[in-house]
Amino acid sequence: MKRPSVLEDPKRELWLAWYATIVFYNIYTIVFFILTRTQPPGKPWYGPEAVVGWFDGRHDGLLIGFALIFALGGLSATSIALITYSIRRMSVSRAFAYSYLILYAVSAVPGFLFICVVMTVGAMRPDRSPATQQWLYDLGFLSFSGTMGVFLVGSLIWMLAILLDKNGVFPKWFGYLNLCNALTEVVVAPSWIFHRGAFAWNGVIAWWIDVVVFGAYTGVFIYLLRSLILREDFGTGPLPDRPPSGPARVAEVAAS
Amino acid sequence: MTISETALPATGAGSTRRVPGQPDMWFFVLFETLLFTAYLGVYLFNRTQHPVLFLHAQAQLHLWIGAVNTIILLTSSWVIARCVEEARAGRFRSALVKAYLTAACGVAFMGFKVSEWVVEIHAGNTFTSNDFFSYYYFLTAIHFIHLLIGFVFLGVLVYQLRSPQRRSQIMVETCATYWHTLDYLWILIFALLYVVR
Repeated sequence: MKRPSVLEDPKRELWLAWYATIVFYNIYTIVFFILTRTQPPGKPWYGPEAVVGWFDGRHDGLLIGFALIFALGGLSATSIALITYSIRRMSVSRAFAYSYLILYAVSAVPGFLFICVVMTVGAMRPDRSPATQQWLYDLGFLSFSGTMGVFLVGSLIWMLAILLDKNGVFPKWFGYLNLCNALTEVVVAPSWIFHRGAFAWNGVIAWWIDVVVFGAYTGVFIYLLRSLILREDFGTGPLPDRPPSGPARVAEVAAS
Repeated sequence: MTISETALPATGAGSTRRVPGQPDMWFFVLFETLLFTAYLGVYLFNRTQHPVLFLHAQAQLHLWIGAVNTIILLTSSWVIARCVEEARAGRFRSALVKAYLTAACGVAFMGFKVSEWVVEIHAGNTFTSNDFFSYYYFLTAIHFIHLLIGFVFLGVLVYQLRSPQRRSQIMVETCATYWHTLDYLWILIFALLYVVR
């Protein structure tokens, strides 16, 4: 059986979206953890002078890093689109897919883009008054960490769709993993109250444990989306099993 | 296996299945266990940093309320286990009654828990009073949220039991597994927040 060329492959758009998702999450990690060093988050207890020092130490990284996000951050739409596609492929109402799409599109503004804009504003004029810089610093981190709850309902919608689906698009355990992820989005809420400790925006519970869960969750759903594309038959019924790979695939090709 | 799955034959006690209910639910149990282990580990670490403060604050909790809640939740776990047994035996009406009793235990637990929060808040022990009470409210509240989700599972269980067209034994066991998880997470929280000195 001859493998179709890229131009003939009916799954090429899906693969394009999947690779764009990989590119996006790599850019995201490099920008937030290396270039801008906005993750792990700065200390919530910093006073105005310390915040000015924080901006000074990251001036170039903030401008370059978030310029990259402003140019390429739209790639985040590809993962949302693929997830929406996965829900459309399920046996559930399309209302699930549309709700997820709208929720995540709206949630990306406070949960992802706001920090980029605010921190870039802070880096733009380092001679601004320390009190104003601290205001921007608080706004940036609180918008990023404190609004995680906006993603909660989206996770629950995906969970419900997976649990109700009869097409076997995703395994049911991933539906329950969505619930775990949704619950960790709840525990970020105390970061609006605490300036230090486990519940502050950089705390062990509000950030470190959550980021481990989110990292695992993201890795799993990217893998499962790949599996979905491999299994996709563009029908409306149950998804077939994954085609064989490795020696089994070689034997199948030889037999054909 | 899905929430919407319909009428599977009830499995007997001699079933060769490895785990009761959906294996996927056991993945959830494992993941939540890891998550609560992390939360409780952070709590215990902080406790070692401020032993006097934690001991003093812990003494202000009403141990009897925690104990009553533990008994209520243990009872609910026993009742839902009986519900599973009744469903396996095909006695669905009795199973349904036990599902309602489980829900009643859950409501009683919530009532005591909210009362305890009110008592503590009136005593001046709020979420921000000190580190111990921050953990106390956090751990009991996150468990409370799990309990609220538990009512959704009980709703699915009742939905399954009410109609002869449904009655999926695997779904009944899956819902019961979730409820048992609430029980054992609470026992960990009760032991570490209320009892351990």
